[in-house]
Amino acid sequence: MGVKRRTGGFYLRVNPILCDGFGHCHELAPELVRMDEWGYPIIDKEPTPLSDLAALESARYAVRGCPRQALRIERVSET
Amino acid sequence: MLAHELPRLLFGTPGTPLTLAQHEATFAPSVKVESLFNELAGSGLTGRGGAAFPTARKAELLRDQRGHHKVVVVNAMEGEPVSYKDSTLLSTNPHLVLDGAAILASIIGAKHVIVCVSRDNPTAVGHVQRALDERKRAGSRGPEFELETAPWRYVAGEESALVHWLNDNESLPQYRPQRPNVLKISQHSVLLDNVETCANVGLIGRFGAGWFRALGTRTSPGSILVTITGAVERPKVLEVVPGMTLRTVLSFADADPDPQALLLGGYGGSWLDGAFLDTPYDNESLAPLGASVGAGIVVVLGREGCGVVETQRVVKWMANESARQCGPCAFGLPALSEDLAELSTGSRTSTKALQRLEQRCGVIEGRGACHHPDGVVRLVRSALHVFAEDFMSHARGTPCLGSRAKKYFVAVPQLEHEHELIWE
Amino acid sequence: MIALTTPYLWYTTRATGMVTLILFTLVVSLGTLVANRVGGTVVGRFEINELHRSVSIVAVVFLVLHITTTVVDSFAPTGWLSAIIPFASEYRRVGVAIGAVAFDLILAVWISSLLKVRMKNESWRFIHWFSWLAFASAILHAYLTGTDTKNGVGLAVVGACAVCVIMASLWRYLARPARAAGRTALSPLAATKGPASASAAIKSGHASASSPSAFPRSPDARAKSRHASPNTPSSFPHSPAPRRSKRYR
Repeated sequence: MGVKRRTGGFYLRVNPILCDGFGHCHELAPELVRMDEWGYPIIDKEPTPLSDLAALESARYAVRGCPRQALRIERVSET
Repeated sequence: MLAHELPRLLFGTPGTPLTLAQHEATFAPSVKVESLFNELAGSGLTGRGGAAFPTARKAELLRDQRGHHKVVVVNAMEGEPVSYKDSTLLSTNPHLVLDGAAILASIIGAKHVIVCVSRDNPTAVGHVQRALDERKRAGSRGPEFELETAPWRYVAGEESALVHWLNDNESLPQYRPQRPNVLKISQHSVLLDNVETCANVGLIGRFGAGWFRALGTRTSPGSILVTITGAVERPKVLEVVPGMTLRTVLSFADADPDPQALLLGGYGGSWLDGAFLDTPYDNESLAPLGASVGAGIVVVLGREGCGVVETQRVVKWMANESARQCGPCAFGLPALSEDLAELSTGSRTSTKALQRLEQRCGVIEGRGACHHPDGVVRLVRSALHVFAEDFMSHARGTPCLGSRAKKYFVAVPQLEHEHELIWE
Repeated sequence: MIALTTPYLWYTTRATGMVTLILFTLVVSLGTLVANRVGGTVVGRFEINELHRSVSIVAVVFLVLHITTTVVDSFAPTGWLSAIIPFASEYRRVGVAIGAVAFDLILAVWISSLLKVRMKNESWRFIHWFSWLAFASAILHAYLTGTDTKNGVGLAVVGACAVCVIMASLWRYLARPARAAGRTALSPLAATKGPASASAAIKSGHASASSPSAFPRSPDARAKSRHASPNTPSSFPHSPAPRRSKRYR
């Protein structure tokens, strides 16, 4: 797998209706997801650059680990 | 009808709706205008349901959708408890609304129109039913009309909640991450517009964009229906022109000429200090002050009232009206309500309640599927700004006299079970 | 199918059956730990979730071994079909039938979990609730069919597994988290503790909207006063949303 220069960013998006406040996303991607006092995720409005591979990997784990499948990764291309 | 004259929408007597014959006699029997869409676009009409989205752009989006069975939904749910304009309009001239819906249907190519009225408002349901029967008897061509009655809740009038009710019998707002997002009823695209918007479309269809723009400002053309309650002689629904100052609008309703504050836009709107009465009543002028016209709602708060207590009452009811689908709203709004309750009574721990209130507002905003929590946060933040001194004195443990007088200006429906609130 | 005639297959069946039961007890217990949001400080919640997923794979492997060795073995005449269709075998009909029921349910739960990303979350959850029934069938199957489970150590193990899961189910209910909503926001099946509980009360007992909520009338509403408090006509009575009963168009 060659090193590809990735431009753009990604968002971790949560579907607030599906989300039930399990908190697995915060454990798996603490740099992207903070918790509010009721156990629900607070996600940055700013996109994370794709070059931040560690964050992308955490995001992928968070998406896979969510018991309600409430998370998605959305790509944002730099125009 | 003269262009520079009011009334336009409320032409008639509220309570005795114009029959089809009377309506056609007043407004001319058929729609005259050639290119309906161009007239709509030229008119600059914006939605009257609160969001003020350009109606022509919404219609264009639907027109470009594929599908042969598009649907127009007329939203007469009127979720805001302090708003009566939609039911007043339906009791004055329902045929104008139905004409507008038919025009929208012809623009987007829809063959069905569903009029949704709250089932807890039987008068309005009756008016619409009679109007639909008259049209059926007269055998008018055009789309097929249908009346649906949904149960009344605050969120039931929200676009996606109403469409979800039509689909699945539950008034639950939906998550719509992509904008623009076209709502669907069983795969058929839906154009949803407020009753007043449809009525304005009916007028534009008859008299054209130029006539429509003869009243109002450049950015807010036309006329608006306003419900004024609170410190007024009698609660009223008025038809006003954007550009009139708030002072003029209040004078039409014989309101308190020196109010403490105004609640603009509804329970999800914001407070405006009474010093700004000379602001023109339109979105452009109100935006820098952090307020908006919203669904044409004005509640006048007299000097004897207490903004903290009024806000607390509204937020408590709004918290109970949450659909409870999203955590930040289901848990956050009750938390705001509790903090406000603590501040209303004023005790020694109230300073912390004030800090918590401000902090929680920042946390709750923008994290629900719909904008219900955002509206409440907007209300609370505007209250913190407008009633800053009152909040400080409440926080110090010395609540103002108004809070103890129990004289309420903002009408809030009673919760069903006070002793069994939603979050306990 | 070549039926082998050594007794070791018979022993393997019984052994794998026991192990499968113990593993599924573990799976169900881990499942209740996940659902009740246990963890976060010493052990991560996602770790318990991963453990639940992994142990379930191991449990299914042992279950398949158990079924294969039973079918291939000639001592107990059961065919392949009897693993999935109840009452298809002649040997210990009822016991094996219940085992087949358990296997069917476990298969449904497992396959739905494999395809979880492709289905709606509420459908997956609906199927997942059947895992309790699957376990109950497994316990019954173990007791009725098992050679070792009628007395002694075997009975103790089955009994311990049953008690463990019964306790887990009680704890699952008693320590359930306060959630924002159940299946739907205003349904009576909405969870339990937390904001939705009174909506259940609203729906159940008082759905008739018999007390129209009036706007609060101030005690001082004097008509003479210019700035009277709202004397608004009573607005719409508060009625709860209808249940998910029939589909509208």
